[in-house]
Amino acid sequence: MEVVRIEHLTKVYGSGHTAVTALREASLTAHDGELVAILGPSGSGKTTLLMAAAGIIEPTGGRITIGATALYDGGWLMRDRGRFRREHLGFIFQSHNLIPFLTARENVLMALQIRAVTGARAVRVAQELLDYLGVGDRQGHLPEQLSGGEQQRVAIARALANAPQVILADEPTAALDTERGQSVMALFRQIAREKGSAVICVTHDHRMVEGFDHVYRVKDGLVTNGPSGEDHRVPPAGTGGGVA
Amino acid sequence: MNLAVRDIRRHPGRFVLSCIGVGLMLTLVLSYGGIYNGFVQEALALINNTGADLWVVQRDTRGPFAEQSRMPEDVRYRIAIVPGVAEASPYLFYTIQREWQGRPLRIAVVGYDLHTGLGGPRRIVAGRGIAQGHYEMVADQKLRLPLGARLHLGQHDYTVVGQTRGLVGSGGDPVAFFTLADAQEIQFVKDNWAIRNQRERAQAAYTRALPTQPSLSARLARELADNPDVHTVNAILVRLAPGAQPQAVAREIGRWKYFSAYTTEQQSQLLLAGSVALARRQTSLFRMVLALTATVIIAQIIYTMTLEKLKPIALLKLMGAPTRTIVALVLQESLALGVVAYGVALLVGSLTYDKWPRLVLVGTADKLTLLAMVLGICVVASAMGIRRALQVEASAALSD
Repeated sequence: MEVVRIEHLTKVYGSGHTAVTALREASLTAHDGELVAILGPSGSGKTTLLMAAAGIIEPTGGRITIGATALYDGGWLMRDRGRFRREHLGFIFQSHNLIPFLTARENVLMALQIRAVTGARAVRVAQELLDYLGVGDRQGHLPEQLSGGEQQRVAIARALANAPQVILADEPTAALDTERGQSVMALFRQIAREKGSAVICVTHDHRMVEGFDHVYRVKDGLVTNGPSGEDHRVPPAGTGGGVA
Repeated sequence: MNLAVRDIRRHPGRFVLSCIGVGLMLTLVLSYGGIYNGFVQEALALINNTGADLWVVQRDTRGPFAEQSRMPEDVRYRIAIVPGVAEASPYLFYTIQREWQGRPLRIAVVGYDLHTGLGGPRRIVAGRGIAQGHYEMVADQKLRLPLGARLHLGQHDYTVVGQTRGLVGSGGDPVAFFTLADAQEIQFVKDNWAIRNQRERAQAAYTRALPTQPSLSARLARELADNPDVHTVNAILVRLAPGAQPQAVAREIGRWKYFSAYTTEQQSQLLLAGSVALARRQTSLFRMVLALTATVIIAQIIYTMTLEKLKPIALLKLMGAPTRTIVALVLQESLALGVVAYGVALLVGSLTYDKWPRLVLVGTADKLTLLAMVLGICVVASAMGIRRALQVEASAALSD
């Protein structure tokens, strides 16, 4: 089932002489259980695409549909986008972005609490997620007491806490070495397969997108590989893919 | 899960230090209220101690405490026969400073009539009351004069035979009670050396003025230099007969040209409206400035703490945390700071107030008022932090 549909999305920062076009007619789709990569160099507009999809920044034009909800169509269609995010989306970031004054378990509990899941049930879910991500034994530690890889696993556990339809990951491996980065990507594949969430992962590292179902390339705000059957999709880097 | 508690837990040392700093400031806010209460308590203690119903003083003056009032001692007999008066008793009050065993003593001297007992010490906490007409005194414990101590005043030594507790004059000086005659003597009687000296100076002047009348010069010099009539008092205390109306008796006495009569209530009001009112304005102003300063300091602390959390706040927003979660985080930290600082203020106050030089009287109402003030201050102080927190964009969580 299609859970993300982005059509002709445009984002222009500023106006007049200072206007900068970050996205030009970008289109993208993702289905549940799919692993989608947005690949591009720094400043290409891939994070802008992600933030627009999450309802964080307002596009200049286009359409965004998440699941059955039309989020944007020339203007925001949903007022309480915070609520939409906590119910449908999970986030993973480059710098792990755990809340520094909460332990690993509390970080996951916080995400549950935001969804009004509290008490023994929340504790059980948090424990299960941390165990699932292999950091159950580190749950009482503060982020600063965890390694980069462990922090990212806790961040993934937190992103999974609300059983999201879509997980948006912004350079999730940038702060990790290759081995740990690939381990995280393997986790994404596992999550997509086992939890059924669509994972949209922004990265500049083509080595990390091996095994992804679809890879979109972004350059200067232009998504050069569309999602349609017009062969805009490309195989992962290193397998001879490119614009058809 | 309480985010504010978790955040505080991360930097407990800094939080505790902030609480101590704000707490000490709140101690001052509390203390200034207590100091004013102490002023009132001390000012009224002496009035209440007399047990008088009326105070008769020199016409158009405000009584023995608020200002100087002088009247002949024998007026007591004229007042005693006014209908409704059961007893009239002379009263003398003045302040002296002497040295005792190398330390200065400021004493509020009270002279009272031993026979009526009006104006004398009502509660002796150690020793006994004055039992003989001369050379005994009852001193307040604040003077730190032990029982049996002898103090040289005027031309005589006076022995401490009893002690009171918490009796001070309106200026805060501890009280010592004497018989009226002793108090008059201490105040007015000059010693022989002073008399001789003044006689010679006066005679020299008169001799120059009246060179042909040496005997007249000598007599005039003696009259000028010798001890004056000491039978002067500051007030006559009146105890009313049962059923007598204080206002009516005061009106009756007030008809005489030379005296004003006040009820004890009026006397208290006169005192409170005078120097104590000034102290109240002063302490209120200090309290206001300190409360404002505390608000600014708490606001600054909370704002700084909020600035340090902007990224986690952005993250919470990104995760879809409702606004109330963000507001609660900042507000609860502010309230926690205020409440802990309030506890520090209460603790410091209770441990130190008995060592302050003047009475600090803090009641439950003062404590509750301060608590309400602190909560209000914390809410106001957190406004800036909350505003800043709400301005943070969720997208800030994605930036490094």
